[in-house]
Amino acid sequence: MKAEERDREALSAVMDGEAQELELRRALDAVAADASLRAWWQRHHRVRDALHGHFPNDTQIDVSKGVLEALERGRPISRNPLWNMAVAASVTLAVVMGAQQLLLPSTAGSPVPVVSELGGAVVPVLGAQPVQASLGSKPLPGPTQQSVTAQESSQNIAMVYDRLARDRYRAFNGRHAAAAAYSHPAPYISYVRVPESQLDVSAAE
Amino acid sequence: MFAFRNHSSTSAPQSKGRCLSPLATLIALCLFVPTAVFAQSDGGLQSGTVCNLDTRAQQALAKMLQASSHQRYEGTVLYERAGNRQFVTVSSPIDNAEQGMLRRMNAQADPPPESWPAPFDSPQRACDVAEVYLPTLESGRIVAGRATQRLTLRPRDTLRLTYLIDMDSETGLALAMATVGSEGNILERYVYASIDYQAVSERGPLVEKALRYGRGRSVVPGYFLLSEDADRGVFVVSDGLATASIFVEPLPPGAPVGEGAVIEGATLTYTRGVRSAAGGLLISVLGEVPVVTARLLADAVRPSEEQS
Repeated sequence: MKAEERDREALSAVMDGEAQELELRRALDAVAADASLRAWWQRHHRVRDALHGHFPNDTQIDVSKGVLEALERGRPISRNPLWNMAVAASVTLAVVMGAQQLLLPSTAGSPVPVVSELGGAVVPVLGAQPVQASLGSKPLPGPTQQSVTAQESSQNIAMVYDRLARDRYRAFNGRHAAAAAYSHPAPYISYVRVPESQLDVSAAE
Repeated sequence: MFAFRNHSSTSAPQSKGRCLSPLATLIALCLFVPTAVFAQSDGGLQSGTVCNLDTRAQQALAKMLQASSHQRYEGTVLYERAGNRQFVTVSSPIDNAEQGMLRRMNAQADPPPESWPAPFDSPQRACDVAEVYLPTLESGRIVAGRATQRLTLRPRDTLRLTYLIDMDSETGLALAMATVGSEGNILERYVYASIDYQAVSERGPLVEKALRYGRGRSVVPGYFLLSEDADRGVFVVSDGLATASIFVEPLPPGAPVGEGAVIEGATLTYTRGVRSAAGGLLISVLGEVPVVTARLLADAVRPSEEQS
């Protein structure tokens, strides 16, 4: 397998939220060093966004730079495997959210219809084949796609925060146990709640 | 670093670690005026009691809260919550030792000892708890061969959980305790299987160096700051019985605003991502508190430009 193919495979894993930290770092380094690879990554995001009912946008969103900076800051928390998953997943999420945010300001004053308001016309819908509108009998595909997209977005946010809550519990419950022990009628219970490996004894001092 | 609207005497540890991003400099914890508890000796359990504890239940509450610091004991305890059941052996801090010991008997063969700190030993605690919980007392069951009294602590508002405590009729030690959620479900509980008391020669706390009960400003009704680490964005609040820790971090890149929560036993973890002019923040609240309390505590974290 060529190096370029390996990089593209790694990027696919990043987009799917399946990359580990080292793989993510290597993929982002490759993107930063190779303009063609960067263009490939952006094309794939556009295709994927379109398949999910999002408009492609002309503005370049360099998500990789922000993620690299986050990794370079070397926050200890980034070594948590769950956190790695969150970072990896957020790469795709940032693109999706960024696209929506970029669309919203321009449409705030005069909403751009997802489908044409002209009845009976052939309506081009991005990410789908042209369809003949049949007014009064079937709903147009656009709004349905919009609601599905909104639902998916809401589910994505819920998944992100479910993961974040579990991650922060594992990261902080030892420290919280040390603080809570002083007020509990049986101080040791606060420690028993937490696996020994997750206790933060220093926080009690 | 973080700042507070009003600075007062909290036992805030000094930070030696990495500061948060510059956006953290614009964050503060919004504060409310604390409820005053007037000092008045009741001639009760210990000199220096700072409020009236008139009823038997209130006096039992004060006795229970001080028992762990005033008794010397060893015992075996069963701890249970959903998906977790373990036996531990415990021993209280001895003489001037600052730490008690515990061993998890189901974790591994020949389990190593772990230490735990002596609890707060302050008459103020009973006053604080009696302010926000309604204590009732009735005859109890036999626990670990000891007669007990059932002390029930029901919250006076919706910001707390309920506690069912079987306290030793003689020593006041909490020999069994169940934490009950807002819907009446038991979140976690423990009970002594056996306990041995050792003689205590002197009256007063066995641990002279117990952490001071540093009661700070109130941030949510009944909850006041115990400690604050402004640089690291870590705050601890308590109502004298329940504790919550608040952690403030930068919002991960690309993360949307939102909220989520998970609960393990009685410990709730609530996270909220917010964006403001100062940037994105991830606020995490861990505590033995209902969701509504966690939300209020997260609400209390504010940009410093809102400071008065």
